[in-house]
Parts: sequence; C-alpha cells; structure tokens
Amino acid sequence: MTDVSGHPVTGLDEVVHQRVRLGILAITHEAKRVEFGYLRTQLDLTAGNLSKHLSVLEAAGLIDIEKGYEGKRGRTWITLTADGDAALAAEISRLKMLIARVETA
Amino acid sequence: MTADAIRPGDDPRRILSEVRGLAARVRRDQRLTWVALLVLGAVTLLAVPFDAIFMQLQCQADGCTFARRGMLYYWPPALLIAYATIAWGYLRAARARGVGGRVLPYAITGAVTAVVFTAAYVAAALYFPANPPFEGGPVPFWWIVLDRLIAPWGLIGLALLVLAAVERNGPLLLFTGGYLALVLLVLPTTEGMSMMGANLRLSMAVPQLIIGIVLLAGAFGFAKARRP
Repeated sequence: MTDVSGHPVTGLDEVVHQRVRLGILAITHEAKRVEFGYLRTQLDLTAGNLSKHLSVLEAAGLIDIEKGYEGKRGRTWITLTADGDAALAAEISRLKMLIARVETA
Repeated sequence: MTADAIRPGDDPRRILSEVRGLAARVRRDQRLTWVALLVLGAVTLLAVPFDAIFMQLQCQADGCTFARRGMLYYWPPALLIAYATIAWGYLRAARARGVGGRVLPYAITGAVTAVVFTAAYVAAALYFPANPPFEGGPVPFWWIVLDRLIAPWGLIGLALLVLAAVERNGPLLLFTGGYLALVLLVLPTTEGMSMMGANLRLSMAVPQLIIGIVLLAGAFGFAKARRP
C-alpha cells in the first residue's frame, strides 16, 4: 500500500487514490469526526453516491461509521481509523513525490 | 471535487490543492473565534469592579501601598468558567455544523493559565513583602513584562496563541500578536495608568477597560468577517 521504493505511481492505493474518497479522508482527518450531511454538502454528492464511497472505505478499514439519533433526527458520524490516517498520509506523500518528479523531470 | 475517479492525466498539484482546500474549509467551519473573544472581553470588563472594590489601599504621607485582592478572588474562577464556556460553545457549534471540535488544547491551556496565575499571585503575595525584588529599587523592563505576562490579561494572550496554532488561524495569530504587544509592552496593567487627578483604583481600571474593549472589538471583527 505504501511502497516507496519504485515510481510513486506504483505505490498508489486504489481505494484512496480516488477523488471523492480522498476528499472524504481529508475532511474526516481535519474534522476529527464528521457528519454524513456535512460530507455530502462539501463534496457535492448525492446521498446514494456518498454511501457507496463510505462503504468502500469502511470495508477497507479506513473509516468507522457510527449511526445514532439526536432527538428524533438520525445522524451518521464518520471517523478515521488509524489505518485511514496512515493511508491518507501515504497518498499525500505519493502526490508530493509525483509533483517533485514532474518538477525535476 | 465532484468527479469520481482520479484519471492518469490529472495534475497531482491540483489534487493536492483540492485536498488542502477541503481541509481549510473544515478548519473555517470549526472556528468560533468571535465567541472566545466575546467571553474573554466580557470577563475582563467584569473584573474591573472586583479589582476596585477589593483593592486594599494604605496611604501615608510618603505614598500608597496597595494589594489587588480582587484579582485573586475573581480571576481563577472566572478564567475556568470562561474557558469551559468557550469550549462548550465551540463543541456545540461544531457539532451543529457536522464536524468535530479542536478546542480542547485551548481550553486545557486556559485552565492551566488559571492555575499558573493563582500560584504566581499567592507566591508573590507571600514572598515579596519581606523580600522585595531588586532590593526595592527600580525594576528592569523585562521584569515588568514578565509581571504583565503572568497577569490574567497576558495569560489570555498566551492561550489565544495556542488557539491560533490549533486552528491554524492566521487572522487570530495577527490579532493576538497585536494584543500581546499592547498588553505586555504598552499598557501598565500591573502598575496602573497614572493620570492627572486619578486615584489608584481608577488608574488600575483604565488599562483593564482598554483590554476589554480591544477583545470585544476583536469579537465584533471576527463575527463580521465570518458572515458570508
């Protein structure tokens, strides 16, 4: 997942190297804990589309999803797991390496 | 950030910039700077009557000595209540917006400053009457700055620096820099502002009123800047 020996592209994680999922991880990392509706607004997605991406990230063990109620209103909160944190850091590092390669080429 | 896949031709710089943009938006949504400054400004202004009422003054022909007991009675609980209120407000607002909060390090720093102030005040009150600093002679400027730094108004500035760092809040960092310069280098917060005909209680009140107004003006400015 975080092979740094070869070309930066070879180490990219298929789960994370995806625009929406990278956005989800970035927002969740910064927010520490983020609500489903906030993610949907920030990423300009439909509920169904966001749910699919969240399922992929949850299945990969990168996020935790917690469902609950506030009053009568159902709310879904997403937090990053330690693996999710590491995966995001690795992806950012890969992107920086790619930029460095492009600039020195 | 609406397209699904990162395509091979996508510029990593653009992707990284999008990620940073999203993170910056979250940080903006977590902030409630104006509330922090509003609470601290209100607490500062409320301290003025406490300071004046409980100040112990002893005047003789060669001058007056004073002890600001009101500061000890008022500031430790006031700081603790203020930082608890700010933390509660931050977390409530962040939750309502759908994000987690980052205010805890600030609130903890604030609580620590309350303890530091109390310890420093009590230690000074016990030690200095029998052992005046610099043998009762004129004190150097660095000593005055240190004295102002461990006073509540200086400690409020130190805690605000922590908040600016935690939030990566550039405007707050600038505001705090100006605030600390005012509190540490300009306003005689611990000596009183000598004015023609003003008594000692009033001379102590003026710097506090200025600080309170500066904090409230900051609250107003940050609240206004927040509106879309």
